[in-house]
Amino acid sequence: MPHAAATPPAGDLGRVLAQRERRFAAALLAPAFVALLATTTFPLLFLIGTSTFRMDLAMPFADGFVGLENYRTLLADDRFWSSLLVSLIYTASTVVLQVALGLALALLVMDMKRGQGWFRVVAILPVVLSPAVVGMIWRTFMLAPEFGIVDYLAINAGLGSQNWLGDPTLAMVSVVIIHTWQWTPFAFMVLLASLASLPEDIYEAARLDRASAWQRFKRITLPLLRPAIVMVVIMRTMVALTAFAAIFTVTGGGPGTATEILNLYAYRKSFTELSIGYGSALAVALLVVTILISGVLFAMRRAK
Amino acid sequence: MIAKRIRLVAVLAITLLFLLAWVFPILWSVLNSLKTDSDVLAYPPKLFFSPTLEPYRDVLFGSASILPNLVSSFVISIGTTIITMLMAVPAAYALARLRFRGKKFAGFYVLATQMLPPVGIIIPYFLILRNIGWIDTYQGIILIYLSFSLPFAIWLLVSYFEDIPFEMEEAAYLDGASRMKTLWRIIIPQVRGGIAVTIVFVFLNAWNEFLFAVVLSGNTVRPVTVAMFNFVSVEQTLWAKLAAVSVLAMLPVVILGIVAQKNIVKGLTVGAVKGGGRR
Amino acid sequence: MSGRGQVRFEDIVKMHGEFAALKGVTFEIEPGEFFALLGPSGSGKSTTLRILAGLDAPSAGRVYIDGQDITTADARDRDIAMVFQSYALYPHMTVYENIAFPLEMARMSKAEIVPAVQEAARKVAIEHLLQRKPGQLSGGQQQRCALARAIVRKARLFLLDEPLSNLDAKLRLETRTELKKLQRSLGVTAVYVTHDQEEAMTLADRMAVFMAGEIQQVGRPADVFARPNSIDVAAFIGSPPMNLIPARYKDGGIEIAGHRLETSLKESGERDVVVGIRPGAVRIAAGGIPAVVELVEDLGDTAILDLDCSGISIRARVSDGDVPREGTSLSITARAPDIHLFDATTRRRL
Repeated sequence: MPHAAATPPAGDLGRVLAQRERRFAAALLAPAFVALLATTTFPLLFLIGTSTFRMDLAMPFADGFVGLENYRTLLADDRFWSSLLVSLIYTASTVVLQVALGLALALLVMDMKRGQGWFRVVAILPVVLSPAVVGMIWRTFMLAPEFGIVDYLAINAGLGSQNWLGDPTLAMVSVVIIHTWQWTPFAFMVLLASLASLPEDIYEAARLDRASAWQRFKRITLPLLRPAIVMVVIMRTMVALTAFAAIFTVTGGGPGTATEILNLYAYRKSFTELSIGYGSALAVALLVVTILISGVLFAMRRAK
Repeated sequence: MIAKRIRLVAVLAITLLFLLAWVFPILWSVLNSLKTDSDVLAYPPKLFFSPTLEPYRDVLFGSASILPNLVSSFVISIGTTIITMLMAVPAAYALARLRFRGKKFAGFYVLATQMLPPVGIIIPYFLILRNIGWIDTYQGIILIYLSFSLPFAIWLLVSYFEDIPFEMEEAAYLDGASRMKTLWRIIIPQVRGGIAVTIVFVFLNAWNEFLFAVVLSGNTVRPVTVAMFNFVSVEQTLWAKLAAVSVLAMLPVVILGIVAQKNIVKGLTVGAVKGGGRR
Repeated sequence: MSGRGQVRFEDIVKMHGEFAALKGVTFEIEPGEFFALLGPSGSGKSTTLRILAGLDAPSAGRVYIDGQDITTADARDRDIAMVFQSYALYPHMTVYENIAFPLEMARMSKAEIVPAVQEAARKVAIEHLLQRKPGQLSGGQQQRCALARAIVRKARLFLLDEPLSNLDAKLRLETRTELKKLQRSLGVTAVYVTHDQEEAMTLADRMAVFMAGEIQQVGRPADVFARPNSIDVAAFIGSPPMNLIPARYKDGGIEIAGHRLETSLKESGERDVVVGIRPGAVRIAAGGIPAVVELVEDLGDTAILDLDCSGISIRARVSDGDVPREGTSLSITARAPDIHLFDATTRRRL
């Protein structure tokens, strides 16, 4: 059989097939991965590069390599630390509020026999909107002094007209409320979907075991809902840390730096003050913070 | 019995309050967009007034028309959606169905790219695009929009591809179809629904984006989310017009959101489920 | 075109990491034969079919179709049609489009495709369903559609992977008969995977019995039934399964519960054996092994007796006329040709 020598050994078919499959996979993946490398990984490396330069668009003559200088400046920069603190407060408060309100509402709506559909539709409205538009609406029609609805309600409640966006504390409360307003429906929808997927019969069993409503919630609902809650917390934390539009449009980080989260500080430094090098260092710091926090959250998620 | 009734009323009140809280700011914007400026500024706020379409006429056809900005928004969103889908569909199929070394890593890489803070991408991108003269161009904005739309679309599509049984491909191979034909004729038609949902979300995210747009836009390319700022300045705010622009900016996404209603939870949570191990 | 569809497997090994799914499988299928791959799940029968189809690659060994080495050929170049267990109908295509798909892939013209699809649909009696989508068909109709898609191309080999397992019991019996007729009329070689020994017995011209990655026995169903060549095959084929009783062989006879039965094996000497007697071969007759009826399962035309022979359980099948009652004492025996003897250590037939 002369042709026998020409055919590859049988074990090779696996390799041949695998190779064919690999080539096909490579061809399918190539465009997306080239685009991802170009739009994410390459900028990241570039960013790390610029963070080691003094790069000032207003004073280009002074540009040059400065090594870790920007990071040294950063560690001694009070505005950095305060923006980090604002980030953490903003993130923690909005996430806690979203989950608490979202869960409470999901539990209430779950028990409703009619009208659930209304909530499902209405809950979609805020989350599909651009945070920039949401910020703009709140800044003007909701929070403007006197004729803004919130202020109008405050006046009628005897609290008097407040400078909602001009007072440092109130401005922070305002941006937290705006973020919470927009994203609580997210937590609500996810948790409602998760609740709806819980099997009915375990509640019947618990009832037969004479568990009270509170016990059923604490011992059954909460543990079963935990994965969904943790998922919401992780997703919302990542988004809150890099929130931009809804603060930028409402307060621009002000008054002063009262609502300037780290993300916004990096932006302002780079594009308002044109200090690109230092702005890059701030962006890297934000990435590090994001990775650390997500690391902690994922560890908690795995820890049962 | 009475306690039960009180509880019921309380629950109803609380839930209605939430419903109102969510609807009101949007509804209020719509109402204000139908008022004259003096009606908008009236104190106490007017719930009843004689509606006018004047603000819409002004922002659409007046001297500071936002029509070009709406066009910008549509061009950017549609362009992003088309390019994203052309790249994401094949990539998602490969990640969902093919066997190759490094697949896990590839999937993880796609997920990890979403961790990058947008501000960290825009700084270098601004410098690069400035050098090649792509600031204030469609290609500049659409390119950078791929940084968030691609990972999202890939992960969402993977979940749809995974739902198709393997026998489909095997049957097609035995019927004499090539890999490409199988993908095109057998697999993709079966994920049409998933592709539609993905298109909706990619469009939505592109339409709503703000940070990249505010940095990279200029006089030629300026989406409506950025152009809104024309109506608020330190000196004066054009209240009714701002309301009209807000409503116009909200309209497409609200329609899409309601169309995609049933899939919204899946679209919002994509990637997270896979993220740190299985549910 | 005669002689199309001859298959030869040579020492096929399939490893999944450390686990050997196939440990060197060799067999041959003649053209036009209805050949069953029978075995419990995990025995390697499906892997064998997938290797034949080109959906999986063997780790070692060679596969020939019509004398041609196709071990490394792509699935789409093998000219093989297959019916999947799940049918794998393309849900977005009509029945017509499903059946036409393989012809389209073969770049046939529309003028050729239309009559070919009609013909295939007629053979499985679904001409009236051509414009439906698979989702609008019943399970049985889907199965026919899958069959039509497989036969339309007139491939040289026709593979069926448990094609009846998703049908309900009554439909399964009807389809079984039709399947056999269809294969006969087409004259095509069919390879049929099943875990149902009754299906294999009724359909196959010959069958290969798989156990733990190896072929235990190849032969005509009747021969395999009559002369299983190992304990495992004996236990697998036949329902209810063969009684297998450890016993002592001595000079042409065996001893069960203190009673001697003559066998057809005439050897001198003594050894440990496993005795196999099919329930249907157990006879109730005086002067045999004493037994007590523990349980009677009445199947209508026959009945299965669970017997206790001083600690040894034996099942017997008796016809309806003379069913003893539970608790009855009786005595049983078996004719020498009905007694199978297996080596207790090698588990092979003696």
